[in-house]
Amino acid sequence: MQIETSLTGPFPRPEALVAATRDLDRGRTGAAEVDALRRRTEEEILALERRLGFSPVTGGFLGWPDLFRPLAETWRGFTVGPLTRWFETNTFFRQPVLHHPPERVPGAFAALLPAAPRGSGLPTKALLPGPYTFAGLLDNRSGETREALVHRLGRLLAEETAELVAAGYAEVEFPEPLLVVRPPEGPRAESVLAAYRAIAEGAGAARTSVWTYFADATPSLKLLGRLPVTSVGIDLSETEPESLRALPERRALGLGVLDPRTSLAEDPREVARIVRELESKLSPPRIVLGPGGPLDLLPYGTAVGKLESLAAARQLLAPGAVA
Amino acid sequence: MTGKLFPAQEIGSIAKPRWQLLGQRGAPLDERARAEWRSWNERIRFAPAGDPLAEALLDGRADASGGAGIRDLGALFGLRFFESAGLDRVYDGEARRIEMYEYPIRQMGGFQFLGHVRSFDNKYYLKAAATGPVSLERPYHLEEFDFVKAHARGIPKLPITGPYTLADWSYNEYYLGREAGWKGRAARRRAQREFVVEVARRAIRPTLKALLDRGCRVIQIDEPAAGTHPDEADLVAEGFNAATEGLDGEFSMHICFSEYASLFPAILEAKRCRQWAWEFANRDSPEHDGYEVLKLFKEYGDDREIGLGVVDVHRDEVESAEVVAERILRASRYLGDPSKIWVNPDCGLRTRSLEIAYRKLQRVVEGAALARARQNGSAA
Repeated sequence: MQIETSLTGPFPRPEALVAATRDLDRGRTGAAEVDALRRRTEEEILALERRLGFSPVTGGFLGWPDLFRPLAETWRGFTVGPLTRWFETNTFFRQPVLHHPPERVPGAFAALLPAAPRGSGLPTKALLPGPYTFAGLLDNRSGETREALVHRLGRLLAEETAELVAAGYAEVEFPEPLLVVRPPEGPRAESVLAAYRAIAEGAGAARTSVWTYFADATPSLKLLGRLPVTSVGIDLSETEPESLRALPERRALGLGVLDPRTSLAEDPREVARIVRELESKLSPPRIVLGPGGPLDLLPYGTAVGKLESLAAARQLLAPGAVA
Repeated sequence: MTGKLFPAQEIGSIAKPRWQLLGQRGAPLDERARAEWRSWNERIRFAPAGDPLAEALLDGRADASGGAGIRDLGALFGLRFFESAGLDRVYDGEARRIEMYEYPIRQMGGFQFLGHVRSFDNKYYLKAAATGPVSLERPYHLEEFDFVKAHARGIPKLPITGPYTLADWSYNEYYLGREAGWKGRAARRRAQREFVVEVARRAIRPTLKALLDRGCRVIQIDEPAAGTHPDEADLVAEGFNAATEGLDGEFSMHICFSEYASLFPAILEAKRCRQWAWEFANRDSPEHDGYEVLKLFKEYGDDREIGLGVVDVHRDEVESAEVVAERILRASRYLGDPSKIWVNPDCGLRTRSLEIAYRKLQRVVEGAALARARQNGSAA
């Protein structure tokens, strides 16, 4: 069985970039200087991913203000609304306000992805908001029902995915915390499936992954098993590993084994033990180990330490490693 | 209570005046700062006549005034700001404080600051981890209270960050690290409970006791994180109880921008809380009744005081006295007892200009008077 490690979601900004962006807001530095520092930092994160053997690589998405803003500010139909709590965390996003059915602007989103990974020669991963989470957290004034909106966003995200795949991205990841925080049922669940069918078409042979976090995935496992994506990620800080036996389909499995809500470093041996147990019970063809949620809930140095634990756990799981 | 219906109180910080910010940095006042000083001093008379520190500051000799003296003047400004607006319970506008997390944590042992975490956009906060057992290095806010006590004309009400919020905004390494094996939901929950209660018992309670010993009677325990995890409302109450155990003070709990219904009924277990001081105006609109949730107090038989947020702290639009009065009387109907209501802004007003903040406070007082007249009229 293949075991991979990869970053999921955005990575925290290091202290120098924190200081620079604060200075930018206070008029003490310029946007060009901050952009240059961000690009250098993305190179450093890429080097870290390379050193730790992560694949695909991401560069950390450091320029994004939040998960939705790159689309809310490049697609037509949106304005950016009030600060809104990001689930049960002390962080916030600006709620997108959708005034009429959204329209995609070709090329605009891709320009906001980190540049460093694309020139690295390594398999790269892009990030797009999952259609269910996106539709559920925006302020929908478009007149469309939620179900229709999920489906429409799915089609637009499929176009975005096709563009990213054509640009060389090996995988597109869709964070979908809302799928487990507020699991959809009935027609709404069907709209999610339809959205991901469209995305799968857009992706072609490239990988697609859905990552869930912030709540127990157990009630959603049946739906997650039906999603036509390459892998589904489960936050093991919220979901009892034992419950994953209910996964209806044996396919690539994402395991969120780093908890971004605590700075306490995970013990690689404990991570390896959990993964081995799941491997023996589920026999997935591929396991992707990653953070159980966005690591930007941690300071930079702490997040780096966690990634090193993750790489150590993968090494413990390598064929021939001493258990 | 004060003996009148709908007494008014502040709830937290106000913006620091420009002269204070410049003065604290040792910078001479520019014309804008001097004009601000003159204008406010004419209106609220905060600077003692002939005060040498004030004269030095205005003469451009900021260094001679010294940072501590400037902060004293800032505290006097805050006090007079609230008092002249007509509030019954006052404080200093948190003139000496910069924020509500880092300072209390720095008065405690067992914590280590790890770095900045983004709150939103380019806004961050420095976040600490509990890496050892929580302890208190020294009770805090004491000198600040002494100054307020010596100068206040109204009833002082001191705000302090609560144990649940301090724990929730920190990482829990020490207590979680003592949990064996995989750190799943159950382990995290046990460790968080221990963390909250330890912060309450070892740090907040001794500080509250020291404040009470110095004559502080009315204390607002701020728990803005209370609504972050709806299934932890019992921890908020448990932390409150541990922090106030055996103490005789008038304690209130301030919560804002939370889904209040999810806190019921667990939050009501905060036994020594005399007043729930919550934000309501921000969620009140023609389409949505922001005060309807108050019915839950009646439903659960909880007859404690309510600190009723009647003006929104996130908008510059100044509510009319009529709007404020209507909100107060609507809340009275929902609670079934007008005598339980104090009125206040939703939260601290520091994101508003001093001018807007002052006008909002005046409308709180005017609206309360209007509601009082109507209530008394209808009762007559």
